[in-house]
Order: sequence, then C-alpha cells, then structure tokens
Amino acid sequence: MIKGYEVVIGLETHAELNTDSKIYCDCKNQFGLEVNSQVCPICMGMPGALPTLNENVVDYAIKMGHALNCNINRVCKQDRKNYFYPDLPKAYQISQAEVPLCENGYLDVMVDEEERRIGITRIHIEEDAGKLLHSDKFDGCSLVDLNRCGVPLIEIVSEPDMRSSAEAKAYLETLKSILQYLDICDCKMQEGSIRCDVNVSVHKPGEPMGTRSEMKNVNSFSAAVRGIDYEVNRQIEILENGGTIEQETRRWDDVKGVSVSMRSKEDAQDYRYFPEPDLLTIVVDQERVDKLKSEIPELPNAKILRYVKDWKLPQKEATFIAESVELAALFDSCLAKNKYPAKSYSVWILGDLVKYMNETGKKLSDTKINADNLTELVGLIESKTISNAGGKKIFAVILEEDKNVKKLVDDLGLAQVSDTAFLEKIADEVLAANEKSVADFKNGKTNALGFLVGQCMKASKGKANPGMMKEIISKKLDNI
Amino acid sequence: MNIDIKHIAKLSRLRIEEDKIKEFETQMQNIVNMVEKLPDIDEKMILDESNPMILRKDEAVTDKYSRQELMANAPQVKAGCLVVPKTVE
Amino acid sequence: MLELFERNACELSDMLKNKEISSVELTQSVFSRIKAVDDKVNSYVTLNEEEALKEAQEIDRKRIKGEQLSDIAGIPIGIKDNISTKGLKTTCSSKMLNNYVPPFNATVINKLNDARAVITGKLNMDEFAMGSSTETSYFKPTCNPHALDRIPGGSSGGSAAAVAACEAVVSLGSDTGGSIRQPASYCGVVGLKPTYGAVSRFGLVAFASSLDQIGPIGKCVKDVAMVQSVINGHDKMDATSAYKDYSDLAANLTADVKGLKIGVPKEYFGEGIDNEVKTSVLNAVKELEKQGAVIKDISLPSTDYALSAYYIISSAEASSNLARFDGVRYGYRTENYDSLIDMYEKTRSEGFGDEVKRRIMLGTFVLSSGFYDAYYGKAKLLQKRISEEFNGAFSDIDVIAAPTVPTTAFKIGENINDPLKMYATDICTVTVNIAGLPAISVPCGTDSNKLPIGLQLIGNKFSEQKLLNTAYAYESISDGFIIPKL
Repeated sequence: MIKGYEVVIGLETHAELNTDSKIYCDCKNQFGLEVNSQVCPICMGMPGALPTLNENVVDYAIKMGHALNCNINRVCKQDRKNYFYPDLPKAYQISQAEVPLCENGYLDVMVDEEERRIGITRIHIEEDAGKLLHSDKFDGCSLVDLNRCGVPLIEIVSEPDMRSSAEAKAYLETLKSILQYLDICDCKMQEGSIRCDVNVSVHKPGEPMGTRSEMKNVNSFSAAVRGIDYEVNRQIEILENGGTIEQETRRWDDVKGVSVSMRSKEDAQDYRYFPEPDLLTIVVDQERVDKLKSEIPELPNAKILRYVKDWKLPQKEATFIAESVELAALFDSCLAKNKYPAKSYSVWILGDLVKYMNETGKKLSDTKINADNLTELVGLIESKTISNAGGKKIFAVILEEDKNVKKLVDDLGLAQVSDTAFLEKIADEVLAANEKSVADFKNGKTNALGFLVGQCMKASKGKANPGMMKEIISKKLDNI
Repeated sequence: MNIDIKHIAKLSRLRIEEDKIKEFETQMQNIVNMVEKLPDIDEKMILDESNPMILRKDEAVTDKYSRQELMANAPQVKAGCLVVPKTVE
Repeated sequence: MLELFERNACELSDMLKNKEISSVELTQSVFSRIKAVDDKVNSYVTLNEEEALKEAQEIDRKRIKGEQLSDIAGIPIGIKDNISTKGLKTTCSSKMLNNYVPPFNATVINKLNDARAVITGKLNMDEFAMGSSTETSYFKPTCNPHALDRIPGGSSGGSAAAVAACEAVVSLGSDTGGSIRQPASYCGVVGLKPTYGAVSRFGLVAFASSLDQIGPIGKCVKDVAMVQSVINGHDKMDATSAYKDYSDLAANLTADVKGLKIGVPKEYFGEGIDNEVKTSVLNAVKELEKQGAVIKDISLPSTDYALSAYYIISSAEASSNLARFDGVRYGYRTENYDSLIDMYEKTRSEGFGDEVKRRIMLGTFVLSSGFYDAYYGKAKLLQKRISEEFNGAFSDIDVIAAPTVPTTAFKIGENINDPLKMYATDICTVTVNIAGLPAISVPCGTDSNKLPIGLQLIGNKFSEQKLLNTAYAYESISDGFIIPKL
C-alpha cells in the first residue's frame, strides 16, 4: 500500500535465448558483431525466403515452462503479428498468439523473508527485431542494423500479482537466476538480453482494479524499480487531483527518470494476428517434454530453502549464494565434502570472494578458488593451525594463483604458535611493559584485557594463537 | 457492412487517391457481399497434430553471404546499414 | 518436319541423348523463335540468352565426355517471374521489384540447375500472381498465342503462352487458385498443380503461402511429368514441404485407365459454365469410359463457397506477405518523402498496381480487429469442410473430372474493370488449392472460335502419378496440343 492505494503490477519479460543459431534461420546468434554481418535472405525478409524453426528454441522454452511450473502445450502453433517498422524486415513478427508453448504456471519468490507466489500466464516463443541507430550526424536519417533480427526470444507474461516494486524486483531477479541455471540465456542486461514491459495500475482497497498503463523500454531491474515507483506516484497524483488514468502505452526514460506517453488506446495498433502459414503445427512428443523436465537442475528458489533449512544459513545469505549459478555450485561442492559447518564456507564466499569479484569484475571461473583449496583453508582455520587473519592472506593468494595452501602457510610464515612456554614469555613481557593497563584491569576496567591481548598478538607478529593468548593473559592477571 | 477504406488503407500503409476511393469501396463491397453469403459453421479450429513440423537442428552457418551481396538491392545504404527517414524515438 | 522449338521435351531429350542434336542448337532454335514471335505474344519479361547458351555449351561438353545427364539436361525451360533466380531479375511483373536481383536461388531453380536444364528467361505474369489474365502485369499484357486479341489466362500467363507459342519447351508456373491450370487451359497446353508440399516454395515470392505451389507447364503430359520429377521432393528450407518418397513420374507413366473410378461432380457443371466447355469435358469423360474407366456422379456441396473462402484466405495472407515491400531493403522507393510513414505509403502506393492494392486492402480488412472471426475464421472452417468433402469423395473414387475454366479465353480488356467477373474464372480451380490437392489441366478440344478447352483432373493428395496416367490416357486418344499459327 502506498499513500492508501493498492498497487498492481504485471510484467512481460523478454529473454533472448543463447542458442547457436537464430530462431528461423541458421545465421549465428551472437551479440556485438559488425553491423549487418549476421544476416541472410531469411532474417532480412527477402522475397521468397521462408522460416524454419530451431528445435533448441522449443526445448529451451519448454525447460523454462517446467521451471515456472507451467502446463506445456505440446501441440501449438505460431502466428504473425503484423506492423510496419524499419527494424522488422518482414513487417510481421513471428510469435505465438492463441496457443503459447507454456501457460498457467507460477513462480515462488522470497520478499522480506516471506514467500510470495506470482502467477505465470504464459511463455511463448518469438523472434527479436533489428536495431535502429540514431545520431545527429545521420542527416535526418536513421540507420538499420538487422543482426538482431531473428534472435530467439521467450516472452514470459506474469499475472498482475505483484504489489510493489520490491516484489517486481524479486520476481525479475529470480527469473534471471533461473534463466542462468537453465543456461538458456546470457542474462547480460547491458546487451539487452533481458528486457521487460511493465503494466501498472493503482486502486483504493476494496475498489475495482484501476486502469493500467503499459511501460516499455525498461532495460534493467533497477530501471524497473524506478519506473514502477514513478508510475505509481504519477497515477496516484492524478487520482488525488480528481483526474482519471488513461489506458496507454508509455515509454520509460531512465536517464531523465520519467515515463512519457507513446500512444493512447484510441490509436492502439491493430496487429491482425493470424496463423503463420509458412510453419506447420509444433508437435512435441510427451516423452521429450518429460525428458526436458528431468534435465532441469535444482533451481535457486529450491536451493535457498535447502540452505536455510538444512544448513542453517540466514535467508539473505542463502539467497545471495543461490542466485548465482557459480557461487552455488562452489558452495554445494564444499557442502558435499561434509567436513566443516556451512557457515565456515559462506563466510569466505560472501566475504572475500564476492568482494574480490566485485572489485575486479571477474567471474568465479576467472579465479583459482575451488572447493578443494577452500576446504583446505577452512580446515586450517578450524584446526587453529592458522589464524583468521592468516587465512585472509592465503585467500588473497589463492584467488589469483594456483598455489598449494599448506605450502603457503610455511612460505608466508602463518602457522600459529601454540607453544605455551613461548606464549607465556610474551605475556610476561607485555604485562611488564603495560603496568597501567594491568592496574586498570584490576580496577575493574575489563576492556583492558583486550588491549593486552592485542599487544601480545602484535609482539608475536600475529603468529600467536589468539585463543590461547587470551587464556594465558587472563590467568596471569588473576594471579597478580 | 460499410468498409472504412481510409482506415484499412492506413493499416496497409497504402494511400488511395480520392478519386479512386469510391471505386475501391464498391469493388471491395462487392467482394465482401460475396463473402457474406458464407454459411455459419458451428465448429472450432483444432490444430492439426497429424502433420507435425520437422524442426531444424541448432547449427549456425557463417559466411553464407557477403553483406554487399545482401544489400545490393537496397535503395540507400550508409556505413553498412540500411537508411530510413529518421524514426521518432 | 517440325522445328526443334516445336517439339516436346521428351522427344528432344531422346534426340539430345542420341546426339542427333546439340543443346546449343536447341537453345538457339528456341531463342530464334522467341525473337520471331515474342513481339506478338509478350511472354517474356527478361531473357537469359547469354547464360543459357553458356550452359548449353557446358552440357554439350559433358555429353561428349560421356557424363551421366538427367532427362531434362539441355531442355530450354522458362521460369515464371516470381521464382527467385540468383543474379537474374525477379520482378513479379511489378514496378515494386522492377530492378530486384535475388542473391539466392529458389530451391526449384537449384534443382533445375543440378539437372542441367537451360533457363531461357523470366516469364510475364499478373502482378505478384494476382489476376487471372496477365493483364495486371506492370510491364505489358501477354497475348494468347491462339488468338492474339485474347488473354492467355493468369497468373502464369507468360508461362502458358511461352510453351504454347513454342518460346520455351517447358516452363514453371505457380498456382495459388488456378494460376497454372487456368492459363494452361486457355493456351491449350498441359499444366500440373502439384499437391501442396510436393514442391518446395523456398524462393517463390509468396502470394498466399498456404495455397501457393510451383508446378510445370508443357506441351504434353510426359513433359510435365519429367519436369515435376525434377522439382518435387522434400526441402529442409521449406517447413511446409512434405517428407515423402517420390518415384520417377515420367518413367512410370502408363495410359491404362481400366477400372479407374472417375467422379463427375455436378457442382462443376452448373450455372456459369459455358455449354461448349461442358460438352467437351463430358465428351472427354466418355472417351475415358470407353477406355475402361468407371464413371460416377458425385457431389461436392461446399464448392459454391470455395471462391469466397479462397479470396479471404489468399488476400489475408497476401496482405501480410506483401507488407515487406516497404522500400527499405530492396525494390522500389519513392523519390520524395518527408517522414517514414510518408515513405512507406508513397512507396507502396506507387509500387503496387490496383489489383494488388485491392487484395492487400481486402486481406487487411478481413484480419482487422472485430472482423477476424466473421471472415478469416469462417473461411478457415470452410476450408476444413471442403477438404473433408474431397476426402469423402476420394474414399470412393480415384480421380475427379471437371472443367478447368468455365469459359474459353476472353478478350483483353473485357473483364479488367470487374474484379468479381475476373475472380469467377477461378471458380473451378480454387477448391483444389483450398484442399491442398494435385490437379492437372489437359487440352480437350476447342470451341467454335478454335479456342482451347481444358479438362481438369483432380486427385487425392500425392496422387500425381495417377493423375498424370489418367491425363496421359486421355491425351493418347485426343488431339492434344495444337501448334498455333503465329
């Protein structure tokens, strides 16, 4: 509820599939190549060219359907959506109208420690359009690059089940991590591999649903949040001032942080959908549908539950790890060793590892960290062979270099000293040199203990076993 | 049944000259009248499962055509791109 | 003694094999004929003389070396100008594609090239195959070689006229609602519309994708069978192409119709069918009966609705198929424009002729919001019903006999301003496309004006061999093709 209004959000999310070839021709499906270099008569819409459907597009979409608990329409068809635009060479987009490949599913997402179920209306397959390039230097013209024409898309349409921008964000992030888990989309937001259209309406509780506006050109999850918040406020403001909401299509301008009207309902496009006559009915065997289901890995939402329930991780940490395919894989193989508590791993993964990846922009696979060297490191700390601080030094090395952990302990001289005689000697020296602190302690200032232990650690050049050191100092203080 | 020729022309991205609108209207009206004699059929279209489509293997083929070859018919080309009047963003 | 260009492909094929003639001689003969008569007939839009002679030389070299060559190697063939030919203009007889040179070949052209047929050039047609007389061609109307003041039929008018005028030994046309059979009938030649899916449509500039089919036109049934055997077959580039084994139609040709059950549907002999046409066709059926065929009267009641269903479906698909002609990637672009929409509208209005505009508008209308169910949806249901009626008929009979066209060729200009009258000439042919069936038109005599009449034989899906055999049987007891005096 915002300012006494209920917010209703539905999302249409387009994800580019990472197939080898395009959806209707065998041109390469690759981003960022020279303009108009990945085209052929088919994706250029030359007269007489015909489409043929890429089987992986169907398989990938079915996998996503399974992941989102959809019914799979193993018999379905494709339709033409007709409209004129220079980035659409055939002047129609091959899509699915009446019968989508998948429908009636749901996705459970975690929002503020609570599970929310978002309905999935449908998932259908379709082709992407090309790109228009604009510049003041183009002399009143726009340039057309058709490389993206025919890049396979799935459009995932949600029910209007989200009630806040935070929920929308959680939904999008969960979708993204599922796409990554299924390895069917690159999920590179900056390359536009996931884009969404946002439908927003507001109404007073107990009143019927408000008129919705559709917002296009939302190219990142944070833009979705900003766009939704802007739109909600815009609509509430209009209603509060006695106005009415127009059913319209708006365009989100993320730079300016505003949405602007594109077209109203009156000049809504008439797409004249009809069955694509160049393609026959898609018929997928039930066996294949089942096989694709069996290939679905454990998905992030299931992982989160497992981490929380079986491994006692806090939800936030569980979510963070589960939403990254590579972090979860590392974490899971560490857990599989069943040697040390989950927390002793997650602390490294969520701490030094993620920090390093963020700072360098590297992926886990670019580092040298794996379940083996991380377990070894954790083991050394658990056995108190090295201190936590020593562990950090080793971690910094094995992030970048393929070095033996045990050898590093020696090379860096990080082995903790637990020799009582040595530790007692240090303690005596420190106590002698810090009479004032000793007196403070005796006078009840207990935090003087920490200071004295710190001094001991310093004197040992960090090698003293801090636990033992503390014990020895305490004993000696009691005896003074 | 009245046919809004101007609306249909707009959807078709065609411009029908004023002096021809009447002619088009009559001709299309005649065709539509013929079509309106069709009987009502109380049936639903069902998808034809008996003739399934053979799908294509996902294998990309590169360098089938040169860009120059594919753009040779284009009315206007600039920097490897097709040129159109500025589209409103 | 016949001139080379006057002979049938099957005879010429034997003469070439026996080295009685060379491919170059044959090609030269055909081009000399083109030069002599095409001024009158106007079959061709583009000639391919230089390439054709080069190809002929190459074939002769191969034959001398003793290489194995196909039956149609060296046979000059004309191609309807909506079939893409790499490096050779493919205009669809439209201003829109006046200068369009495809960067790829249609699958049928690759097949003809592999079989070493010699492509003579591109043949005139109704603009984008929309028409029944070849008068909607942007370039010129083609004339009927049997009566130059009359239309050759359409839309493959150039393809039928070129074969009839001996300007090509055989040709390829395309048939969406009768566009091969109807001009074949008017021009007194043989035209086969194959089963939907038997011949790849890849590279055929689409008019109505679910109805279009490429097929051969020749002076005799065997010629048509020879070409069909080369062009048919599954093509992975066309998702609607059928996955089937196809046997050699020409080699298996027999004139035996003993016990063959021929259905005569009363709906094809009713009002609007010219008496002379009716008589000729029924006589042809009687002749087949004498040869041992069994004749049965049948009824296909939904035939009356076929024409409407056809115009809805074909126009709907056409409106979408022709939307790509927008002056951006190829084809005509208007000279002056001040915005994108202005460019689109002027380009398309100037580039398309009236008939094409009419069909695009009709198609746009029947698909538009609020009208879809009443028009397109209904037409699709009728299509299903028409198919079911044919299925029912074919459970009991082998072949259906009917006129190809209700009348003989009309005068140029006679119907051009009356679309409905023009559309009515397709009344006997559209059902076949609606149901995806094969059908053939063979000459069955002439009317009192010496204008050819066609017998249409319709078969069940993939029954081309049976159809060709029936046509062959009739041909062997009739006059067949008559060379027009030009």
